[in-house]
Amino acid sequence: MVHHRRCQCRCFSGLLAAALLLIMVPASPAAEPPWEAVLQQARGQTVNWFMWGGSPAVNAYVNGYVAARVKELYGIDLQQGPVKDIAEVVGKLVIEKQAGKHTGGHVDLMWINGENFRTCKKNGLLFGPFAERLPNQRYVDWGRPSVYNDFGEPVEGLESPWGSAQVVMIYDQARISDPPRSVGALLEWIRRHPGRFAYPAPPDFTGSVFVRHVFYHLSEDIGRWQGSFRRSELVATAERTYQVLRELAPHLWRGGSTYPESPVRMNTLFADGEIDFAFSYHQAEASRQILDGLFPETVRTYVFDEGTIANTHFVAIPFNAADSAGAMVVANFLLSPEAQLKKADPDVWGDFPAIDPGRLPPEWQARFRDLPRGPATLSDAELQSHQLPEPPSEILIHLEKGWEQHVLKER
Amino acid sequence: MADPDAGRDARTRRAAGRGSLAVMLLPALMAVVGLFGGGLFLGILQGLGHLPGAGLSRLSATHFSRVWSDPDFLTSFGLTLYIAAVSTLVAAVISVVAALALSRLVNRYRAVHFVFQVPLTVPHLVIAVAVLFMISPAGLLARVAAAAGLIQAPADFPLLVNDRWSIGIILTYVWKEIPFITLMLLAVLQNAGRELLDVGRTLKADAWQRFRHIVLPTIFPALGAASLIVFAYTFGAFEVPYLLGRTYPMTLPVWAYKHYSDIDLLARPEGIATGILIAGMVAAAVVTAQALTRAARKKGIVL
Repeated sequence: MVHHRRCQCRCFSGLLAAALLLIMVPASPAAEPPWEAVLQQARGQTVNWFMWGGSPAVNAYVNGYVAARVKELYGIDLQQGPVKDIAEVVGKLVIEKQAGKHTGGHVDLMWINGENFRTCKKNGLLFGPFAERLPNQRYVDWGRPSVYNDFGEPVEGLESPWGSAQVVMIYDQARISDPPRSVGALLEWIRRHPGRFAYPAPPDFTGSVFVRHVFYHLSEDIGRWQGSFRRSELVATAERTYQVLRELAPHLWRGGSTYPESPVRMNTLFADGEIDFAFSYHQAEASRQILDGLFPETVRTYVFDEGTIANTHFVAIPFNAADSAGAMVVANFLLSPEAQLKKADPDVWGDFPAIDPGRLPPEWQARFRDLPRGPATLSDAELQSHQLPEPPSEILIHLEKGWEQHVLKER
Repeated sequence: MADPDAGRDARTRRAAGRGSLAVMLLPALMAVVGLFGGGLFLGILQGLGHLPGAGLSRLSATHFSRVWSDPDFLTSFGLTLYIAAVSTLVAAVISVVAALALSRLVNRYRAVHFVFQVPLTVPHLVIAVAVLFMISPAGLLARVAAAAGLIQAPADFPLLVNDRWSIGIILTYVWKEIPFITLMLLAVLQNAGRELLDVGRTLKADAWQRFRHIVLPTIFPALGAASLIVFAYTFGAFEVPYLLGRTYPMTLPVWAYKHYSDIDLLARPEGIATGILIAGMVAAAVVTAQALTRAARKKGIVL
C-alpha cells in the first residue's frame, strides 16, 4: 500500500521534472553568449562569494582548494565573504533593489536555500535562470524532488545545486541492537523507554526536522505537501502532530519539562548515556564525532524505512552582481567531478555530492565509490533511495510556531 | 583700581576653559551619544515597527502592546526578576562576609587581591559551560558521587541545571559576581574602616554594634553600587539563562533573542520592543535604588 503510493509519487515527480525541463529549455534564448564567451569574460574577474562562515571545514575548502583551482583554471580571484546568516545579505539586496542599484553590486555569489531562496525569488533578487547554462549541470539529477524543489519552491534554474544533506538517526549498537526503523516504531519505543529520547527545541533546525518527520508520519500522502494543498489539510495534520508530541512529552528526557537547546547538547546527552538516540541533518556527522573521539566506535546510523528528509543547498547569483560571468564559472566548477569529490572527502568536509555519480564516466564513479567512508556513514545508494523532500517553508514555519504554542506551552 | 581688561581676560580664559573642556569631552560624548544613543534611537524606531526592508513602515505601539499583553510576559518577567534578585542578594551577603574576613589578610598578602581578580577575566559563557560540566546529571560531580557510592547512578543526582528553580543560573552568577563585589568592598574597607573600628573598640562597641554602626554605613555606598551593577547585568544577560535555563518559561532576554532571530522578519520588532522594555526596567531599578539611598542617607542610616 505504502510502496504503491510512493511509486505513484515518484512517477508524478518524474513527470513534473520533465515538464520543468521543457519550461527551462526555451528559457535560454539564442542571444545568450556561448559558454566559451562566458569563460573569456570571467577571466580576471574577482568573485565575492558570501556564505555562512561558521564551519572551519567549509571555509578551508573554499579558501584553500576552490580559490586556488579557479585561479589556476580560469584566472578568477575568489573572495569569501563569511557571514553569520546569509539572511543579512538577502536583507542588503532588498535594500539595494529598493534604492535602484541594478548594476555593480558587491555580492557575486551566495550560498543559500530554503526560506532565503524563497525570499529572493519572490522579490526578484536573483540573476538568471542560469543553472542550465552550466556545462556540468549534466551530472545533476534534476528528477529528484529535493533538487527541483528547494523546500517546496521550484528552483527554475535560479540557483545551482552545490551539495546536499540528509537526516540520519544515530544510535550505539553496543546499547541498542535493533533500533526502531520507522517513525511509528520510534514513537512506540519512546513510550516504552521513558526518559531515553530527546529532540532539540524548535526552531532549532535539527529539532524542527524531527517535528516534520512526525508530521510526515501522520500525513496520508506526503507528496501533496509539495503541490497545492488546502490550508485546512495542513492545519488538521499539524494539530494531530502537536497532539502526538504533547502525549509524547512525559516520556521524553526530563519528562519533557525542558529540551536540549541545540543538536550539540543532544549529542552530548547521547555521548553521556543520558539518552539512547541522537539524529543529525548531516549523514556523516556520527562518523565525524567518532573520528573526533566524542562518540564511541560502536555508534552507527540508519534511515527510516519510509525515508528521511533531505535537502539540497545551492549557490545563486544576485540580480545586480558585478561579476556574474565569473560567478557562473565558479558555480560550474563547484559541480565538477573533481570539486564534488574533494568536498565529499570526510577529511575535507564530507558533504554529500550534488551530482549523481551514476552520470559520471566509470573512472570517476570508482573514485566516488572508493572514498573513505566513516565507520558510521551509510552508502550513497542506501541514503539516496530513502530520501524525502522538505515541505515548503510555509509548512515549516507553521509547524515551528505551532510547536511552541501547543507542545511547549500546551495552549 | 582694577584693570578692566583683567576681568575680560578672566572671562575669556574661563570661556576658553569651558571651550577646551567641551573639546576634550567631545570624543567621549560623541561615542556615547552617537553609538549608544543612536543605537537606542534606531532600536526604538524598529520597536515601533519601522522596518522598511520587510514591508513595515508605519509607526505604532502595537509591538510593545503585543509584548505586554502576551500571557507569558508576566511569567518571564517574574522569572527574570527572581533570578536577578536572588543572585544579587546571595552574592552581596557572601561578599560582605568575605570582604570582612579578608580585609586584614589583603594587607599582608597581595596575592589575595590577585586571586580575586582572576574570575573577573573569565567570561560568563565559560563559567556557564563549566557549571554544566560540573553539576549536570551526567557531569563530573554526579559521576564522582556515583563512583563513591553516594548515589546509585549519575542520573540520580539532583537536578541543578535547566531546573525549575534556576539553581544552575544563580550558581553561575553568584560564582562570577562575588569576586567583583568583594573587591569593591575591600577597596573601601582598606581606606576607611580601620581607624573607625579602633575608635569603636575603644568605646567598647561589641562586634555586632561595630558592624551595624561602622562597617555597614561605610561600605554601603560601594555595596549598593556594586549590587546595582550586578542586578542590572543579570537582569539583561542572555547567554547563561539560554544555556542553563529551561526551554519554557524563559527569561526576558532569551525571549527577546528568540523573537529577534525568528525566521519571520515581522517578529523582529517584538524582539526589539522586549529589549527596550528590559532596558527601561533596568533604568527604573537604578532610579529607585538612587532614591532609596538618598532617603536612607537623609535619615542617617548610611554615610
